[in-house]
Amino acid sequence: MTLARELLALLFFASAVIFGIGGIIGLFRFPDPYSRLQAGSLCGTTAIFSIFIGALALSTSLAVAARVVVIMIFFLVSAPTGSHIVARFAWNSGLQPWKPPLSRRSGYTDRQDEP
Amino acid sequence: MRLLMLDAMQWFCIACALFCVLRMLLGPTSADRLVALTVLSSLVLGFLVLRGVRENRALYLDVALVYDIFGFLGFLAIARFLKDKFSDGDSPE
Repeated sequence: MTLARELLALLFFASAVIFGIGGIIGLFRFPDPYSRLQAGSLCGTTAIFSIFIGALALSTSLAVAARVVVIMIFFLVSAPTGSHIVARFAWNSGLQPWKPPLSRRSGYTDRQDEP
Repeated sequence: MRLLMLDAMQWFCIACALFCVLRMLLGPTSADRLVALTVLSSLVLGFLVLRGVRENRALYLDVALVYDIFGFLGFLAIARFLKDKFSDGDSPE
């Protein structure tokens, strides 16, 4: 029983590490706040939820497990709402979305872009 | 093994939170800083839950729940404050 719990927790913690590193890389490499918000909130939510499931598998007493379940339910409500608030703030403050340069837009290189 | 995994995930949360603080320090616009703040809040919540499960105390998880609620209200307040500041208070509400 303990071994099954630890294997489950190890699986979810590995998933959390993968998604967390992906979210941090996206937070640094993407060009504008909308795509950074997409990377950060999506990967952040997945990583934190995997951490919660792993911690739930590793919890020993019922009081701790019940509180983790309550926190999971509230996090499932509050995290997308917070991301929506941030995205609406960015849109209402007149921020323009990033567009790719013209030479990379449809897969062929435009000769007129070259000097 | 159990304590080792919980400790390692706590250090992982701390490392990701440091990168989020870096993004928040050098974000060009205020929307970037707000995005980094949402991710940072989620990471701190994960850290508090891991800490509470490791120490096996239910009181720490109550702290994590209250932190989540007040962090959510904090985004709402900061976004509203910045929006009012940018539009000089004449936005149609």
